[in-house]
Amino acid sequence: MLARKLPLILHNLPWSVSSRAGSDLARRHYDVIVVGGGHAGTEAAAAAARVGAETLLITQKIATIGALSCNPSLGGVGKGHLVRELDALDGLCGRAGDWAGVHFSILNRSKGPAVWGPRAQLDRERYRQFIQSELLSTPRLTVLEGSVEELLVSQSNPNEPGHHRVTGICLVNGSQPILSSSVVLTTGTFLSGSLFMGQTTTPGGRIGDAPSCSGLSHTLRETLGLRVGRLKTGTPPRIVKESVELSLVQIQTPDKEPTPFSFLNTHTHCKPEEQLPCYLTHTTPGVERVVRESLHLNCHIQQDSKGPRYCPSIESRVLRFPGRQHQVWLEPEGLTSDLLYPQGLTMTMPPDLQLRLLREIPALHRAEIRTPGYGVHYDFVCPTQLNPSLQVKSTQGLFLAGQINGTTGYEEAAAQGLWAGVNAARAALSLPLLALCRTQSYIGVLIDDLVGRGVTEPYRMFTSRAEFRTSLRPDNADIRLTPRGFEEVGCVSLRRYKEAVRVRDSLQEGLAALKSVTLSSTRWREKLGNISLSESRNGSLNGLDLLQYKDVSFEMLAAIFPEHLSPYLEFSQRLNIEAVYRPHCEKQSREIERVQEEESLSLPPDMDYLSLPTSLSSEVRELLDRVRPNTLGAATRIPGMTPAAIVHLLHYVLRTAQRNQHTGQRVKAACKP
Amino acid sequence: MLLSTPWRLWRSAISTLKSLRPAPVRHLSIPTDAVCDADTIFALSSGHGRCGVAVVRVSGPASSMVLRNMTGLTQTLPPPRTALLRRITDPHTKELLDRGLVLWFPGPHSFTGEDSAEFHVHGGPAVITAVLQGLGSLKGVRPAEAGEFTRRAFHAGKLGLTEVEGLGDLIHAETEAQRRQALRQMDGELGHLYQDWSSRLKRCLAHVEAFIDFSEDELIEDGVLNQVDSSVHRLQTEIERHLGDERRGERLRNGVQVVIAGATNAGKSSLLNTLCQRPAAIVSPIPGTTRDVVEASLDIGGFPVLLSDTAGLRDGLDSVEREGVRRARQRVEQADLTLVVVDSTQLPTEPKQAPTFLQGYLSIVLPQPSGGNPEEGREATSDRVLLVLNKSDLVPEAQKERTERELRESLGLPPACFLSCHTTTGLGDFLAVLQSRVKTLCGNPLSGAPSLTQARHRAHLQQSVQALSQYHQYRNHDLALAAEGVRLALTHIGRITGRVGAEEILDIVFRDFCIGK
Repeated sequence: MLARKLPLILHNLPWSVSSRAGSDLARRHYDVIVVGGGHAGTEAAAAAARVGAETLLITQKIATIGALSCNPSLGGVGKGHLVRELDALDGLCGRAGDWAGVHFSILNRSKGPAVWGPRAQLDRERYRQFIQSELLSTPRLTVLEGSVEELLVSQSNPNEPGHHRVTGICLVNGSQPILSSSVVLTTGTFLSGSLFMGQTTTPGGRIGDAPSCSGLSHTLRETLGLRVGRLKTGTPPRIVKESVELSLVQIQTPDKEPTPFSFLNTHTHCKPEEQLPCYLTHTTPGVERVVRESLHLNCHIQQDSKGPRYCPSIESRVLRFPGRQHQVWLEPEGLTSDLLYPQGLTMTMPPDLQLRLLREIPALHRAEIRTPGYGVHYDFVCPTQLNPSLQVKSTQGLFLAGQINGTTGYEEAAAQGLWAGVNAARAALSLPLLALCRTQSYIGVLIDDLVGRGVTEPYRMFTSRAEFRTSLRPDNADIRLTPRGFEEVGCVSLRRYKEAVRVRDSLQEGLAALKSVTLSSTRWREKLGNISLSESRNGSLNGLDLLQYKDVSFEMLAAIFPEHLSPYLEFSQRLNIEAVYRPHCEKQSREIERVQEEESLSLPPDMDYLSLPTSLSSEVRELLDRVRPNTLGAATRIPGMTPAAIVHLLHYVLRTAQRNQHTGQRVKAACKP
Repeated sequence: MLLSTPWRLWRSAISTLKSLRPAPVRHLSIPTDAVCDADTIFALSSGHGRCGVAVVRVSGPASSMVLRNMTGLTQTLPPPRTALLRRITDPHTKELLDRGLVLWFPGPHSFTGEDSAEFHVHGGPAVITAVLQGLGSLKGVRPAEAGEFTRRAFHAGKLGLTEVEGLGDLIHAETEAQRRQALRQMDGELGHLYQDWSSRLKRCLAHVEAFIDFSEDELIEDGVLNQVDSSVHRLQTEIERHLGDERRGERLRNGVQVVIAGATNAGKSSLLNTLCQRPAAIVSPIPGTTRDVVEASLDIGGFPVLLSDTAGLRDGLDSVEREGVRRARQRVEQADLTLVVVDSTQLPTEPKQAPTFLQGYLSIVLPQPSGGNPEEGREATSDRVLLVLNKSDLVPEAQKERTERELRESLGLPPACFLSCHTTTGLGDFLAVLQSRVKTLCGNPLSGAPSLTQARHRAHLQQSVQALSQYHQYRNHDLALAAEGVRLALTHIGRITGRVGAEEILDIVFRDFCIGK
C-alpha cells in the first residue's frame, strides 16, 4: 500500500521527485508514460493526467522541461489559433504565455477577426518555471529524470487492430522496466538527430543536451517497421544585447493593452507598461556575400533533406531570393536576459563566419555572439502511419506527437501533444479513442492533414489550411471546444466548463437581444448621427443588421437601448464579431454538416483494400491501402479518389456495419456538434 | 403518353427500386465537393440525340417555384403525378419556348424524395437549350452534378443497400460521360479561357493568403493587394462580358463523337470516305497520308454523328506528323465510340492467335483506362469500341471465317467486323452494328449533353462573379471575408477546370514571396 500511495505525496513536493527518481519507490506500472519534456510532452502528460490516467513523464533533464529551444515567442497568425484552442481544452501553453509574455500584440489586427494572430514574446525563464510548477503540481502526474533505452512491445491484443502492443519502456541503466498501458513519444529532433555547425557534425537533438539512445529509433524502425523520413531545421546565434547599436534599428512596440491568450485570464502577468519592445533591421549585400563565400564550409546547407520553406535559414533565403533585403527581428529573450534573438538569421556556417555575417548588418557591426546558430537533421515518422487519435496504426498503445510527426513549431507540437495525451489516457482507461474534426478546430485541421496527407517538409499551421476559417476563429475557440472538452473528452476542469457555458449562453442571449431591437433606417440615422446606411433598405433594421456596418459598434447600440443591451457589454467585442460573421458561417454550416457526417463514418483500420470484394480500380485500392483513411471523409480528401470509389466504399462499409452491429468501433469520430 | 424508350426504361428502373423494401440506411451524404443539397437541380434526363421528346427533370425545394415560373401556373400547381399540357415560357422574358407536358411530384413521393418536377418538351436542340437556360437563370437553381439525382434519392433513404453498388457504377458512368463532354468543350478557345481565369484566380487567392498569413513579419508590400484588386476587377468584367455575349463563343459539337483510329495505312481514311459516300479525306498507299484530324458530319440511322478520321498511330517521322498523332490520341480520349481499324492482312494466319493479336493492337491504340482495373477497363472498352478488320478482300475466305468464329468466342474483345472498303463487302453488316451502337449511345441519358454542360458552366461562372463581388465588399475592413470571396469564386471555376487544393495555393505563395519566418 505504501508503494502505491507514495507517488501521490511526491508530486505535491515538486523537487523531491527528481531526487527519488529511479529509486525503487517509483511505481512500476503507469497508465501512461510520456517520453520527452518539450511542448508536446508537457501538454501530453498534463492532458493524460487531467483525463484521469496515472501518468509518468520521463525527460533527460528535469531542468529543461518547458524550455523554449528556439524562438522566445508564442502564437502568431494560425499559431495563435492553436494556442487559443489548446487553452480551450485546458492545455498549459496559453496560461504559460500569459504568465511569461513580455510583449503582447495581435497580428493582422486590420485584416478581420478570423485571422487575428495573438502573439507574445516570452521570458524564457518565466515560461519554464510556469510549465514546471504546473506539471509538478498536477495530480496523478509523476516526473522522472532519465533516458529511455528501449520501447517494450509484445504481441497485439487480437481483438483489436494492430500487430504489436506497447507494454512500457526500459531506461538506460534501469534495472527493471517501467510498465504502462500507453506510451506517448515526443522526442522532437532527438530521433537520430545530428547537429551541424560549419563542417562539424555531432549526434544530438539540441545543443547542450546528450543525444537520445539509438535504441528507440531502432525499435521504431526495425521492430515496429515504421517508415521514417529525414527533415532539417535550425536556430540562429544568440546576440549579446549590449553589443547591438539600438540607435540603428526600428523599434516595434507592443499593444498598449495586452490581450491574454487564455480564456480564463482577464489580464497578463506582465503589466502593460512593463512590456519590452522588439527591434527591426535588415540584411545587406554584405550578408549575401558572406553566405556565398562560406557555402563550401557549410555541411547543413549541402544536405538535401527537406527544410521548411517558410522558416528557412538565411543561407537558403539568400540563395532562393538573391539581391534582396531580408528582415531581421531582434527579439528580447526575457525581462532580465542580456540576450537578443535574431529572428530570420538561422544559420549553420562556422562560428567565425557567423560573426562576420552579423557584423555586415549596420546595427550589429560590433555584435557579440553568446551561442552560435546551428542546424539539426532528424528522423520523423511518416505521420500517415497514425490514426487521427495519434496512435500508431500498427501498434496498440503507442502515440506520437510533435516534431517526430514532421511538424515544426511549439504550437503545432503542443496541439498534438494534448491530443495524444488525451487518447493515450483514454486507451489506458479503456475509453473509446477520439478524433477532432477539421470543421471544428485548427487542431483537427493539423492532425487531419498529417495523418491524411503526410508531410514532405516540416508542417506549419497557416490560416489558409483551414477551409472553414470564417467559423474557426480565435475569439470563439472556447465555445467550439470547451463544452465538448468537458462533456466528451474529459480533459477540461469544471471551473473552465462553467465559464464557457456562461459565455456561450450570454452570447446567445445578446444576439437575440440585438435582433429584438428594431428601428426604421431613418430613426437609426437620427440616433447614430453620421452613419451611412444603404438607402435601398427600407423598412426596419434590427441591431444585428446594424452591426454589419463597419462604423457601428455594439457599444453605440447599447447606448441607444441600454435596458436591452447593456447586460451584454462585457461581450461587446465578441458580439460585434459574431454579428458580422454569422451570415457567412451559416452559409458554411451545410458544408460543415456534410463533412461531419462523412467523418462520423469510420473505416475499419484493418480493412484489406487489396482484396475487398467490390469493384474498385487497382489504383484506388493501392491508394487506400497506402493511406488507410480512418473515415469516409478522410478518404474523400485523398488526392486521386473518385466519387464512384467513395460510393463503393460506403456501400461496403454500411454492409459490414450492418453485419457487425454489436462489435463497436474503437475509434469514434467525435464530430457531432 | 409521349414517352421515349429510354425514359420508359428509366422510369421502370425507378419503380423497381421503389418497390423494393427500403433497407435501413443511415442518412449519409455522398461526397461531391461543395455541393449543397438545399439547391434545386435540373438535368436533361433523356438522350441528346434526335428524339421526339426530351425530358428535363428538376428536384429540390424550389421545384414548385420553378414549375410556376416556367408554366405561368401562378396560383395552383398541377395535381400530383398527372401530366398536364402547358405553354412553357422563359421565366424572365415570358417568351414561348415550347408546348409540352409538365408533371409535379411533391416530396416525399418522388424519386429523390424531394419536391420534383418534369418537363417533357420537343426534342430539338434549340428547344432543349432554351429550356435549360431558362431553368439556369432562376435563383437557387443549378444544373445537376454527375449522379446527383440518384445521390439525393440515396440520401433520402429511397435506395436500399443493394442499389448503392449500382449507384457507384452509375456515378462512374456519368462522371466519365461528363468528363468526355467537358474535355471536348475545354479543348479549344473556351477551355483556354477558363484555364486562364482559373490560374489568375489562383494567383489572386495566393497573394491575398500570403498577405494574411505573412505580411506582419515579412516584406510583402501593400502593393500586392492593389494588384489583386485590379486583377479581381478585370476578371469580374471579363467573366460578365463572356456571360452576356450572345454568340456564346464556339459552336458546340453536337452528336455522337465517333473517331476512327488505328495504325498507319490500315485504311482509316478509306473508311471515312466509304461512310461519307464522298472522298472527304485523301487516301493513298503511303503511310502517314492523314496528318490532321478530318471531320465529317453524318446521319446514321437518324442520329447525328460527328465522324473524325485521325492520323495513323506510329512514332512520327517529322514534327507535323507527331502533332497529328498527338491530336489523334486526344480525339480517342474524348470519343463516345472509337472505330479501331486493323489491316486484315496483318492478322496472324493462325486464327487462334487473332484475339491476342487484337488485344495487343487495342492496347496500343486506346488510352489506358485511368482506373487501372483490367476488368473495369475491358468492360468499358467493349462498349465504346468497334473493331473494323479492313482489307478483308485480301484475306483467304477460310481464314476469315475461322478468325470470325475465334473472335466471337473470345471474351473481352469488342465486336469485330470484317470489311473491305475497296469492294464494300461486309459494309451492310458493319453499318447495322454501327447504327445500333450509335442508337444506344444517343438514347443514353448519361452521355453528357452539350447544352447541359454549357448550362453548368454558365451557372458556375455566374456564381463565380457573384463571389468576386464579396471580395470588393470586404476588401478594406475584413480581408478574411474578402479572401473567402476569391476562394469561393475559385471553387466554382474549379468545378469546370479541376479542383484547387490548399497546398497548391501555398506553393504559389512560396514561389512568389520570400517567406522567411
